Amino acid sequence: MSMRSQVYEWDASSGTAMTVQTSLGKRVSVFVGGVGNNITKPAETTATEFVVIEDIATTPTLFTWAGIADNTTIRGLLQDGTAGTMGIAGPRSYVQVRINTTDYFLDPDNIPNDGIPGTASPYPRSINFQPAFNLYPDVYVLPGQVWDALVTFYNAGAFAGATAAAGELQCFVKYTLYDGPDALIANKLLEMGISINPGNVDWYKRSLLQAQG
Amino acid sequence: MSMRSQVYEWSNLQTNANQLRRLSSDQPTAVVASREYDIFTGGVGNNITKPAETTATQFIVIEDIAASPVLSGAMQIRINTTDYFQNPDVTNMDGIPGLASPYPRGANSSISLTTTTTETSVGSQNILKSFDLYPDVYVLPGQTFQILYTTPTGTTNTALSTQVVSAFVKYTLYDGPDALIANKLLELGVTINPNNVDWYKRSLIEQQQRSRVAAAAGGQA
Repeated sequence: MSMRSQVYEWDASSGTAMTVQTSLGKRVSVFVGGVGNNITKPAETTATEFVVIEDIATTPTLFTWAGIADNTTIRGLLQDGTAGTMGIAGPRSYVQVRINTTDYFLDPDNIPNDGIPGTASPYPRSINFQPAFNLYPDVYVLPGQVWDALVTFYNAGAFAGATAAAGELQCFVKYTLYDGPDALIANKLLEMGISINPGNVDWYKRSLLQAQG
Repeated sequence: MSMRSQVYEWSNLQTNANQLRRLSSDQPTAVVASREYDIFTGGVGNNITKPAETTATQFIVIEDIAASPVLSGAMQIRINTTDYFQNPDVTNMDGIPGLASPYPRGANSSISLTTTTTETSVGSQNILKSFDLYPDVYVLPGQTFQILYTTPTGTTNTALSTQVVSAFVKYTLYDGPDALIANKLLELGVTINPNNVDWYKRSLIEQQQRSRVAAAAGGQA
């Protein structure tokens, strides 16, 4: 069990449900942000762990037009132009990856942005919303680093009620956790400039065994 | 973190003209017919602080561009002053149609401005991509690039009927040593992607190891 595929799903309605007043336009940690389902402490790797983030996604948004009546549901997403932004259905949400204090996604002027749009990397995927973004190369979290996924949404009309309901704003993170000897091999592969994935870790183990035999 | 996958999303949602970043107070703003809008510094929608450019130690590979399939929108890439997509007679064109490279994938291609109360206002189509930006587009160190959105019809320009359109670009930013390797791969005629940059690093390491072994063997002899 030293290489394990892991996922984390965050829903703004779980635990302390998110409200527009407290969270609109603000970055919220999906791990320890205080709203939605959270974990007990910030996500971090120990000295014997190595994490490779392979996919991130959030609730998509559909671009429509400003004249659609309030509280119309389009392709599963709510449009309410009076409460929020006219002409869009859904939360207009983005997800950013942060390693220690560094944001991963930047604008072309080298200033950190909101991250990946849910429209480009939707969760859940459907016929209506398919991914246009693939997180490649993967994001590496080295031993001893703290990491986070930060969700921001901008449409105040995204929630039908006073607080978020299930599925109105979600985030998904897929990563692989390498532990113990496999984390050491992951570090070695990193030094060698080889992509860290389960196939290459197994290849390195086989080459060690062949060298011994 | 010297090879990073990056995206930029633009839409005609804004609170003020020439607005940096997104705001929760944004509302749709009109897009004029047949005008090229730079999605980075075009003055409409969310913009950035300066034109997109690479420094001397950066190399950008544009891997995908997409636009809303409604209103016959299209996307063009401009490197310095040269447009990437052109007609067979070498005249200018608007670029890749949103119908060929839709954003979001699965979006509608038609919209009815008369139906306001049901979701039938949005067409039932699920447009999938029929265009793949391959080979990728390279932005060499020191070059400026623009991504231009054009719609031949424009959006309706009254506050309560403006259509919202969007555009999307996906690129990989190579920085520092990886940008040098990208330049080297370009010289060699090898496609620049994260795999090939890693391959080049490995071949450098192997070469060093062979030299070390050869030097050690020479010393023993």
